[in-house]
Amino acid sequence: MTLNTSPKLLVLLLLAASSSTVLLTRAAAELVNEEVKRTVDLSTHLAKITAELLLHNQGEQAVSSFTLAVEPELAPHLAYIGASVKGDEEEDGTLELKQTTIHGQSGEFYKVMLPSSLAGGAKLRVKVETVYSHVLRPFPTHITQAERQLVVFQGNHYFYSPYVTRSQTTRVRLSTKTVETYTKLGNPSKSDESIEYGPFRDIAPFSEDALKIHYENNTPFLTISSITRIIEVSHWGNIAVEETIDLRHTGAYLKGPFSRYDYQRQSDSGISSVKSLKTILPASAQDVYYRDEIGNISTSHLQVLEDSVEVEVRPRFPLFGGWKTHYIIGYNLPSYEYLYMLGDQYALKMRLVDHVYDDQVIDSLTVKLILPEGARNIHVDTPYPIDRMPDQLHYTYLDTFGRPVLVATKTNLVEQHIQDVVVHYTFNKILMLQEPLLVVGAFYILFFTVIIYVRLDFAITKDPAAEVRMKVASITEQVLTLVNKRLGLYRHMDEVVNRYKQSRDTGALNSGRKTLEADHRTLTNDIASLQARLKAEGSDLAEKVGEVQKSDGQVKELVCRSCQEAERLVAGKIKKEAYIESEKTLAGKRQELVTRIDSLLDAL
Amino acid sequence: MTQRKRDLGGGGGGGGGGLRGWGAPPSGWLSLLSFAILLLAWLVAFSSRLFAVIRFESIIHEFDPWFNYRATRYLTENGFYHFLNWFDERAWYPLGRIVGGTVFPGLMVTAGLIHHVLNALHVTVHIRDVCVFLAPVFSGLTSVATFLLTRELWNQSAGLLAACLIAIAPGYTQRSVAGSYDNEGVAIFALQLTYFLWVRSVKTGSVFWSVCCSLSYFYMVSAWGGYVFIVNLVPLHVLVLLLMGRHSGRLYVAYSVFYVVGLVLSLQVPFVGFQPVRSSEHMAAAGVFALLQAYAFVHYLRDRLGLTPREFLALFLLCVPLAAVAGTAALVLLTYGGYIAPWSGRFYSLWDTGYAAVHIPLIASVAEHQTPTWWPFFFNLHVLLCTFPAGLWFCLKDINDERVFVALYAVSAAYFAAVMSRLILTLTPVVCVLSAVAFSNVFERYLADENPRNGNNAAITENKDSKRSSGGGRSGKLRKQHVASSSEAGERPGRGPTEAQEKEEEEGGPGIHLRAAVCLTMLFLLALFAVHCTTVTSTAYSHPSVVLTTRGSRGDIDVIDDYREAYYWLRQNTAERARVMAWWDYGYQIAGMADRTTIVDNNTWNNSHIALVGKAMASNESAAYGIMRSLDVDYVLVIFGGVLGQGDDISKFLWMVRIAEGEHPGDVRERDYLNARGEYRVDAGGTRTMFDSLVYKMCYHRFGELQLSARQPAGFDRARGAVIGEKDISFKHLEEAFTSEHWLVRIYRVKKPDNREPLENRLRVHED
Repeated sequence: MTLNTSPKLLVLLLLAASSSTVLLTRAAAELVNEEVKRTVDLSTHLAKITAELLLHNQGEQAVSSFTLAVEPELAPHLAYIGASVKGDEEEDGTLELKQTTIHGQSGEFYKVMLPSSLAGGAKLRVKVETVYSHVLRPFPTHITQAERQLVVFQGNHYFYSPYVTRSQTTRVRLSTKTVETYTKLGNPSKSDESIEYGPFRDIAPFSEDALKIHYENNTPFLTISSITRIIEVSHWGNIAVEETIDLRHTGAYLKGPFSRYDYQRQSDSGISSVKSLKTILPASAQDVYYRDEIGNISTSHLQVLEDSVEVEVRPRFPLFGGWKTHYIIGYNLPSYEYLYMLGDQYALKMRLVDHVYDDQVIDSLTVKLILPEGARNIHVDTPYPIDRMPDQLHYTYLDTFGRPVLVATKTNLVEQHIQDVVVHYTFNKILMLQEPLLVVGAFYILFFTVIIYVRLDFAITKDPAAEVRMKVASITEQVLTLVNKRLGLYRHMDEVVNRYKQSRDTGALNSGRKTLEADHRTLTNDIASLQARLKAEGSDLAEKVGEVQKSDGQVKELVCRSCQEAERLVAGKIKKEAYIESEKTLAGKRQELVTRIDSLLDAL
Repeated sequence: MTQRKRDLGGGGGGGGGGLRGWGAPPSGWLSLLSFAILLLAWLVAFSSRLFAVIRFESIIHEFDPWFNYRATRYLTENGFYHFLNWFDERAWYPLGRIVGGTVFPGLMVTAGLIHHVLNALHVTVHIRDVCVFLAPVFSGLTSVATFLLTRELWNQSAGLLAACLIAIAPGYTQRSVAGSYDNEGVAIFALQLTYFLWVRSVKTGSVFWSVCCSLSYFYMVSAWGGYVFIVNLVPLHVLVLLLMGRHSGRLYVAYSVFYVVGLVLSLQVPFVGFQPVRSSEHMAAAGVFALLQAYAFVHYLRDRLGLTPREFLALFLLCVPLAAVAGTAALVLLTYGGYIAPWSGRFYSLWDTGYAAVHIPLIASVAEHQTPTWWPFFFNLHVLLCTFPAGLWFCLKDINDERVFVALYAVSAAYFAAVMSRLILTLTPVVCVLSAVAFSNVFERYLADENPRNGNNAAITENKDSKRSSGGGRSGKLRKQHVASSSEAGERPGRGPTEAQEKEEEEGGPGIHLRAAVCLTMLFLLALFAVHCTTVTSTAYSHPSVVLTTRGSRGDIDVIDDYREAYYWLRQNTAERARVMAWWDYGYQIAGMADRTTIVDNNTWNNSHIALVGKAMASNESAAYGIMRSLDVDYVLVIFGGVLGQGDDISKFLWMVRIAEGEHPGDVRERDYLNARGEYRVDAGGTRTMFDSLVYKMCYHRFGELQLSARQPAGFDRARGAVIGEKDISFKHLEEAFTSEHWLVRIYRVKKPDNREPLENRLRVHED
């Protein structure tokens, strides 16, 4: 066996010498893939290839890393590659990968760092997972609505590796039983939905042999041609997430008409088309919206589960091959689940990209992380390399100097990329007050302006007439108050008289009359002085006030008369009937006068 | 101040000292109260228009708003100057449309400006939301403007009531719900503001107010074609005032300034251009302007020369008819010379209701251009329809310059509304103003209590009531006038008081029970009105018409979103420059939602182009294919309501035929589509021409196989309640490209011609 491989090893050694990657070649010389179990999962629109390796270090020296290789034909489509140790213990240790090159060999190579170096003669079980997007090509490329979708997969029969492989099996899983053709290397066995190749023995490094399978695959061939994910962090307790998604059916193109009748009445019509997809949002997602440029998309359903929120995203129309759609989905998250802080130090831990549909493929991702205004010392930890764009500024409600926006892009992502990103930054808590103060300040200025405007006179011309009018108005106001008071006096006097009629207490009556006289005099004098002032202002209202005064004098007389009448009644000088009679006439006259005063006052 | 006087009016009442407790000066309270009422009116106006947003979403409604929205987006994205120069090559293919010169930009500029200001303040509002909520915000402004106008005409309390009425009146709501982003939304505000400023300037004779009026008029001109109403009503007002002998210096200043400044400003709007000086619609204003100058000149001569009244009369009788004859002659000559455009067809249709049906089927085909029956009036105005003549009567009884104006406004608006159902919109504001006057009058009469006999309690209640019902300082005086004239009890027509009540009034005012009864009746009417408004707004006017709903069997609401489904399909899955042919009703929606080039749209400026599309729709497939090839059509879109039972293109098909027949009488004849009995049928009773027409084929393609329910046969059209007459429909030049879920929108792809024409029959050689 060793003899068999030695010439090749020699060649490799020569190559290694020329490229001076001595370490690698020595390792390559000593490592052997003892046993490879490969599973090619073609049941979806992705090609997921998992290989379980049993690595054997045949050399004496311990090795700390080994190399994984990807075929040059498939390398451009490689979306994800990962390796983990399959130890005896349950938990698998994920290994660190680093891209590297091997001179003279095409394809992509990854150097896998082992957790502990592999001693000479030791063996290690490693699981390698790779996902390729857009490797299943529809063939024929155009189908009608009634036809089923056939796709072709072209790969490698062998496990592509820089090491010798002692034994290898390949199991291909398909989505349906219908297989048009498949390559028959080594007489594979085909059961329902899978094809078993191998075992192949003693395969030289970098061996390739075309594997081709043409089979029916009606799973949704959906591709997110671009997605922009905007995460806006607010320190007021909310994280808003919005994803703008361009979705495309990348299966076989629809040829000819689309018949709604067939689509509705025949279950297998348009079998490869996509009616809806299921997006899983975080459990705490709230206020989910799903819309596009022309409004809400009314065909969605939301289901709140215990550990997630499921949105059934149904595009406005079913997606047939080649058709595309565009939509926006957004939701709010409470920040306490994702934002951690220590003093002024903050850390945001969010998914860099989230689930859109199962087995998703994202051709181009743009993530925009909008941090609060005033965040500084920003540092980002990404789970995998991602291209940072220059930072931007974003202005929204009440912003003054803008929020920092981190922008990052990446292409060709799959489900395995749903991982957390951590953003560290510092933020001065005082800045939280800035926005409320801004609002308070704005209102303060508004009210202050109104106050200034109302209180001050901005007229550029003086209007003497208006001033006089205002003066007169204020005097009139005073007159009104006084006259009002005076009329009140009379009412008070009436009450005094009434009380007197019952109690027959002359003293009270006299004192009441005296206070009336005194108050009346002062009031009348006040009014007279006001009247004089009115006259001085040249207002004709003075005359009216004069008339009021005159009428008032009469009213007062009447009041006095009624007072006297009451005295006479009490003294028994007149009879009750006569008193009532005279009281009535007096009241009538008084009413008349009061009405007159009222009308005069109204005219003021 | 009024409060105190009122209190004194109570005379012997005991409220004298009570008022001191109010503390603040009453004028402050009153303005605060007015402010609060106006604010509430605004809020009500805004929130009562949000039914559609709450039930559906923030979405642009119907047809024209989609164009306005698209234009606004263009404005915000490209700036004002690009907007003015915008040549839209995606409409009216292949002609295109000079949008900048054929729109009233006021609406878009307003929305764009608001959007710009908000974004400058970092209030990041999407332009769509600005557009959706513009009309509700402006209806708040309209109620403020109505308040101002009514206050000028009557008093503050009537103004407040008018503001409340216009806030919810369905006649106005129908055009201003959230999402109804159309010119009328801002134009009614501009209309009311212009009228307020006009009344104000006539009242004050100040150049300042007159210039303000012109500016507001300019805004109106830039916003809506209805500005013609202003530019004719204002001169009419001036003319009537002259005839009534109410000429004054104030009027002269007001109109001269308004006309000159307004004319110059209105010439600045590109769409209006030189029309104000060159079209007949605007000549009345010019004529009145000249007349006013002549009138003033004659008066000047009288004063200058010291003429006796007799001489003056002679001069007057000589000059004025001379001027009138000269003016008319000049007008006629200029019209014949082609310098002044004669009346437009739309204008004629305002005087002769049968005109459009005969001459312009395109105008007649629009439902809102038809003469309304009585029920739209009642539906849109409810009780106001009954009370507004009363308000008019109050105004006429106590006439002054500005009340002449409102009377003319009421009469003319009522006439136009009776001619064209759409113009109920312009009637509504004046109806609200006058109804408010009527209600306010009645309340002042019956709610206020000036009778001292009723003692303390009445005086106190009166205090409260007067606060509620009457506003500013002048109301006290006004009320006195009414008290003085209260013996003329016939002042309230309609629901006037009975004779017994009249007697009571003669004795010195109605009794307390009568007052209560009248006030309660009025309040009841107003409450009914409010309920009616809410119901109508909610049920009839708050529908986007882009999204439909049906109620499922369990009472749940099913959203039927077929329009957007199909338009969005067009937007996403057709070539960027694909041309879509559809009947013109859907042009704006296709441009707005599908973002594709259209052949004709709702801006029906080119009748022959529309007729060509109508002809294609009405012709058989191969003839239509010729037309469609010549128009570079890629997709044809039809609306088909047979599954849902909706109105659709089949229902309006006869209009297409008529419009096509107007331009191509040789090719399309309406009678070919009607059967021998003159009926328009889609079932077996239809005609061959009908079955062969493109619309019929596109609507019913494969529909003959579809059985909607077990009780109905296949091919049963729910919209027309009949089984279609032709079930076997196949196409040669078209293929089905998309049909929405409920078949409401069907889109067909026009196939490119084959490289070689396939033979219809097999070659004879083979048969031998």
